Amino acid sequence: MSNATAPTNSTSTEPMDTSAPARYSKRPKYSRFTQQELPACKPILTPRWVISTFMLVTIVFVPIGIASLFASRDVVEIVDRYDDSCAPSGSRTDKVRFIQSTADKTCNRTLTVPKHMKQPIYVYYQLDNFYQNHRRYVKSRSDQQLRNRNKENDVSTCKPEDTAHGVTIVPCGLVAWSMFNDTFRFSGSNNVQLPVTKRGISWKSDRDHKFGKDVFPKNFQNGSLIGGARLNESIPLSEQEDLIVWMRTAALPTFRKLYGKIEVDLQAGDTINVVMQNNYNTYSFNGKKKLVLSTASWLGGKNNFIGIAYLAVGGLCFVLAIAFTIIYLVKPRRLGDPSYLSWNRNPGGH
Amino acid sequence: MSERKVAASRSRGSGGGGGSHMVVDSVSSSGSIRLGRAQPQAPSHRTVFCNDRESNYLAKYLGNSVSTTKYNLFTFLPKGLYEQFRRVANLYFLTISCLSFTPVSPVSPITNVVPLSIVLFVSLVKEAFEDWKRLQNDMTINNSPVDLLQNQRWESVPWKALQVGDIIRVKQDGFFPADLVFLATTNPDGVCYIETANLDGETNLKIRKALEKTWDYVTPERASEFKEEIQCEQPNNSLYTFTGNLITQNQTLPLGPNQILLRGCSLRNTEYIVGAVVFTGHETKVMMNAMNVPSKRSTLEKKLDKVIATLFGVLLSMCLVGAIGSAIFVNERYYYLQLGINVESEQFNPGNRLLVFVLSIFTLITLYSPIIPISLYVSIETIKFIQSAQFINNDLRMYHPETNTPALARTSNLNEELGQVEYIFSDKTGTLTRNLMEFFKCSIGGETYGTGVTEIEVGVANAEDVQKSSAKTRDTGFNFDDARLLSGAWRNEPNPDMCKEFFRCLAICHTVLPEGEETPDKLKYQAASPDEAALVTAAKNFGFFFYRRTPTMVYVRESHVEKMGKVQDVSYEILNVLEFNSTRKRQSVVCRYKDGRLVLYCKGADTVIYERLGGENEEIKNVTRVHMEQYGEAGLRTLCLAYKDLSPDMYESWNEKYIQAKSCLRDREKKLEEVAELIETDLNLIGCTAIEDKLQEGVPSCIETLSKAGLKIWVLTGDKLETAINIAYACKLINNDMKQFIISSETDEIREVENRGDQVEIAQVIKEMVKTELQKYHKEAQTILSVPSGKKLAFLIDGKCLMYALDPSLRSMLLSFCLNCSSVVCCRVSPLQKAQVTRLVRKGANKITLSIGDGANDVGMIQAANIGVGISGLEGMQAVMASDFAIAQFRFLADLLLVHGRWSYLRLCKVVSYFFYKNLTFTLTQFWYTFQTGFSGQRFYDDWCQSLYNVIFTALPVVFVGLLDKDVSAGLSRKYPQLYKEGIDNTFFNWKVVGTLALFSLYQSIVVYNFAVASSTSGLTSSGLMLGHWDISTMAFTCLVITVNLRLLMTCSTVTRWHIISIGGSVLLWFLFIFIYAIVFINKGTFFSIYVLMSTIYFYLMVILVPICALLCDFIYLGFQRWLYPCDYQIVQEVHRHEPDSVGVGLLDIGTQLSPEDERRYAFAMLPRQNSKHTGFAFDSPGYESFFATQQGVVAPQKAWDVVRRASMKPKDNKPQDSEHE
Repeated sequence: MSNATAPTNSTSTEPMDTSAPARYSKRPKYSRFTQQELPACKPILTPRWVISTFMLVTIVFVPIGIASLFASRDVVEIVDRYDDSCAPSGSRTDKVRFIQSTADKTCNRTLTVPKHMKQPIYVYYQLDNFYQNHRRYVKSRSDQQLRNRNKENDVSTCKPEDTAHGVTIVPCGLVAWSMFNDTFRFSGSNNVQLPVTKRGISWKSDRDHKFGKDVFPKNFQNGSLIGGARLNESIPLSEQEDLIVWMRTAALPTFRKLYGKIEVDLQAGDTINVVMQNNYNTYSFNGKKKLVLSTASWLGGKNNFIGIAYLAVGGLCFVLAIAFTIIYLVKPRRLGDPSYLSWNRNPGGH
Repeated sequence: MSERKVAASRSRGSGGGGGSHMVVDSVSSSGSIRLGRAQPQAPSHRTVFCNDRESNYLAKYLGNSVSTTKYNLFTFLPKGLYEQFRRVANLYFLTISCLSFTPVSPVSPITNVVPLSIVLFVSLVKEAFEDWKRLQNDMTINNSPVDLLQNQRWESVPWKALQVGDIIRVKQDGFFPADLVFLATTNPDGVCYIETANLDGETNLKIRKALEKTWDYVTPERASEFKEEIQCEQPNNSLYTFTGNLITQNQTLPLGPNQILLRGCSLRNTEYIVGAVVFTGHETKVMMNAMNVPSKRSTLEKKLDKVIATLFGVLLSMCLVGAIGSAIFVNERYYYLQLGINVESEQFNPGNRLLVFVLSIFTLITLYSPIIPISLYVSIETIKFIQSAQFINNDLRMYHPETNTPALARTSNLNEELGQVEYIFSDKTGTLTRNLMEFFKCSIGGETYGTGVTEIEVGVANAEDVQKSSAKTRDTGFNFDDARLLSGAWRNEPNPDMCKEFFRCLAICHTVLPEGEETPDKLKYQAASPDEAALVTAAKNFGFFFYRRTPTMVYVRESHVEKMGKVQDVSYEILNVLEFNSTRKRQSVVCRYKDGRLVLYCKGADTVIYERLGGENEEIKNVTRVHMEQYGEAGLRTLCLAYKDLSPDMYESWNEKYIQAKSCLRDREKKLEEVAELIETDLNLIGCTAIEDKLQEGVPSCIETLSKAGLKIWVLTGDKLETAINIAYACKLINNDMKQFIISSETDEIREVENRGDQVEIAQVIKEMVKTELQKYHKEAQTILSVPSGKKLAFLIDGKCLMYALDPSLRSMLLSFCLNCSSVVCCRVSPLQKAQVTRLVRKGANKITLSIGDGANDVGMIQAANIGVGISGLEGMQAVMASDFAIAQFRFLADLLLVHGRWSYLRLCKVVSYFFYKNLTFTLTQFWYTFQTGFSGQRFYDDWCQSLYNVIFTALPVVFVGLLDKDVSAGLSRKYPQLYKEGIDNTFFNWKVVGTLALFSLYQSIVVYNFAVASSTSGLTSSGLMLGHWDISTMAFTCLVITVNLRLLMTCSTVTRWHIISIGGSVLLWFLFIFIYAIVFINKGTFFSIYVLMSTIYFYLMVILVPICALLCDFIYLGFQRWLYPCDYQIVQEVHRHEPDSVGVGLLDIGTQLSPEDERRYAFAMLPRQNSKHTGFAFDSPGYESFFATQQGVVAPQKAWDVVRRASMKPKDNKPQDSEHE
């Protein structure tokens, strides 16, 4: 045997060197993971699957859509934009001047009930072009302070409405400072007052946890500029539901906030007189103000979106199911037809 | 320079004539590629005082302990962090994190700091783990024991304790712990045998010889008296040179490479040696050679960089839009924002809109920063690491039981690159072939013997079966089975005399050195070329056992000569040896029988032997030629054997001329050749031998599979053209149906010019020839290719011509021509040229290349290619050390590429696209929100939600997909190699894919965002309460998390329970998180929001609607695409949709069963075939010439068999040759 080939000797077909049986074997251990043989299902998106999926979506979505639309249709909603009519007509500056003056801002509006409205009827105000979600606005609050009396001075995040005359403001920050302060009073067709309940218009979690029972407004709206509503300093924040509602900042610059509830049914054709104090300045930034009376269904307020979306998706899926069926009929392809393999389609193409 | 050194080192096979052109070669092409570090060639030298630690102490040499770790305990954190932040992505996130501490940031610092910390932590843990493994490895090496001379005794000390000047003893099979000057050995004549496999992969033994002066310092007592001084060069990385002097009391003796024993080599066939340490630790040549393996990045990752850059561009334009909006928006009229009055931060000052603009850009960059997926890199790294560590390294299909070698991924960077390779550059010896020569067939006197079927003929998987049938206990190198010749049966053949001559020729005409006990079983043949050993072994098996060699005699134990069963020892006096070299292509021995008969035995290539045959017996000549062609077609290497009886008178007169020539000082080689020509005439042809250069197992079928996969395989070899063609035939790279283009420097014209010796002229002639040939071929190729179903093209070129073809003026033509060829074979190329060719294709054609090789001469090309693959399992480590992947057998390449590479590529594509998609979708929702917030940069989502989006809620499933997804099973990947083309064409991650994805992402973000905010203006509960910002955002986030996770599920080809667990888990984790988060953090806007939401029916309707609506487009796309434009893998999936995955099956019976196709192929292989014109020519394997001689381009052969004459040789013959171009 030649030495030169000795090392390669072991590669020949002879069994391994038996003189070293204790030799450590590097043979990898078998496991399904390392050999990549984990049990798996291999879904293939066959036409049957595609069409079935579309049909399934159709079957599920269309009823939901219809139900949602019905729910939304049952909701009666009265929307009344009042910022224009409750201010002197004229240029924006006139309106701003008006709203900033001390003049009487009482304004009367008459609403007609189009359909029977079952109680409770929710009273909302809707603001437009009001950036409650502006970065500067959103962070200008102190949740610590709102919740905890001892953290009253925790106003570092509240700039620029943190202190007034050197004293900390409770509640501090731009959000609280700019609180909405229009008020609405409703009376029925025969001048019967329709009481507006202000209880339970905010989320319970906010009342219970985010706003302290022993935290009272202090030094509020005492600065050089007055942003909006004043607060009763004898009522703890947890009971200032208007504030709590306002402080739950809205996602979009157009938003509604709950003002109160009218717990009386309204009949179709009824007229409602609204006496409002048009205090809140949206004229500066061309914002609209609307008063909204609405009932609610299981899906909430008037909201066609979800119904339409469900119906549209369901309908689209139906159309697609048909379209796919047609395609499969027009252009059939046997499943797993090897002639579709690229190297079979153009032989020698590589 | 190092490159020249490597360039020179390859010319092992090129012989004496190689020296002249090597000079030109290395000068003209150096500098284009660098291997290893540039070595400092300090002018000064080092002086070592042997056995005298105090004197050496002053010089402050390095210790012998080596460290390959990157960090230590103290540098780990700073250095590790520095390494991390060298990545642009991490730096980007660091910047963002810093930005988020400033007031311009809309998000709190945790949003960015948390993910970054997690990412850094994971990366650092990985680094630490890897470094720990290196440390352990170092410790093992540093603590290996070695015998050090202390107080006249050998004391065992760890390697690390060695110092320069120490005298040490290394025992048989031990490794040298440092670079030593060889002083003494137990072998009586001052030689020792070493194996350099660790350096260059060569397993044949090399001889080192100590200076005669130091031979007797063997015992410790004696060795401790050795106090001489050694002067030598400064440490450098040249493995093949060493210059130094041993300064004794009155003499200065030169030390050369022959006296140096390098760290990493091992001692063989020698009881022990004594040596003096000259270079230690990191200054040893092997360590100086340790290459800083350039870290390679995969093409996919480079593409990814571009995508990331694009994303960054998108980010900037988004910021720009937002910032412009912001500058326009700010206005004092929004009195409730108090923008005009008393603005603390200048960002909202309407009086300075430019500043608003600038600051808003920073705000928005911070806000949109998640568009760059932070966890992408760490996820990819994790995936790749597990892919390589768990899948590639543990693949039983790539485990080679014979050498006990599993596959090894040395880097996890390139897994997916394996799925995109288009060109494979393969070394021949040791890669395609086993470098194991076996005597396989022979033709004696016109009769062919040997019943075997070569693996090449058999071709495919059943090779093993056939072998097993003929597998008896036989010697390595002898795979011959024919009862007509064995055990004396040849006596009954028609021409027993011819057989006798044939066997004697085999037994006598060689330069093999026997070693060990003189019995057939125990004796080992020490041959420079495995061919020779195979021939001598064959003679032994035929009953002509060559067992002893003295300087003048050859002893053969002959059986059955006079009568059956009789064994007699016969001695032949060797009068002359006319050596083999690559120009002569033959070797002759003149010997004298006991009875005075003078015979010249000659063996060599058919062409040269046939030229020198006598006139008679045309029939034998013709028949033998036919046999040789048959052998050649079967991939065997052939040699012709011939003899000639000499008359004493004629011999004497010739011998005088020979002695004259031999003592000639000038042109000795040439004159010897001329003299040899005089006697090597009128030969009688005995027959021919056929040696199988055994292919590695499964090579032909692997190559066939790979070429079906669209891979083009080029063979780059140091071998001769004939051998290269032979192997190319054997590997099915070339067949007779192909149009072959050959550019060879072995033409008469060039030889003529070369004989004139004018280097400039030679260069000009060759260059002109190469140019015209290339132009001609190029044109021809175009015409052939323009015909559909034209012939396939094969191109063969040798190194000398290649050198000129690589000239910048011809390079582009060469490239375009080569790319048209199905097979390209470059032979007699230097390692440098191998690297150049690789680089040419990689850079010039911009293709993804893979180089595979086993030896030091392949290191260049392994590093030059996108992926380097080393053949491991044999002892050579150099190629493996430079490689990215190491496999034991060439055939595993199919698994590595078609299975692992393909899967990795697919998976990584999916992972990368998905990351890109989910972050873009996320950020776009954020972007849409910006328009609604007065461009103030208010965040839509809560800080923690945003920061955990990437690292928790969407991270794990995609990792599972990156690990477990497989479109088709491993078996199908191999069965349909064409599927691999999808990777070559980069079907799954190109701009089209990214663009489509971006569109879907855009659509989904619009759906998610708009649907979520659509209802924010109407009360959503039956109690009329309104949702706030954070409620809406929580709802949107929920929808988003569900959408992106479902989207992942949609892209999966396979769904394992891990997919379900991780995807479902991610969604559940989100809910779990928000349930807890919404209770714990009262101050957050998200407080209680999820409970508020879950108290509405609307929320549930949204959670169903949004993901379905958002994914509708994807679904339609998938349905359409699959039906109308199905990808290949989809068809394959469909074809095999009913087959269960074969679990664990394929591993046990690979290759034992024949498919019908294979059987048919086998049947074809057995049919008589048309002969091709080429015959294989043996005897030119690399390693034939001695180790050092060819390094220096100097013909100073230190032949193995020279050892027998060593007593009579003067030491100065061993004097190191300083090469002039050093």
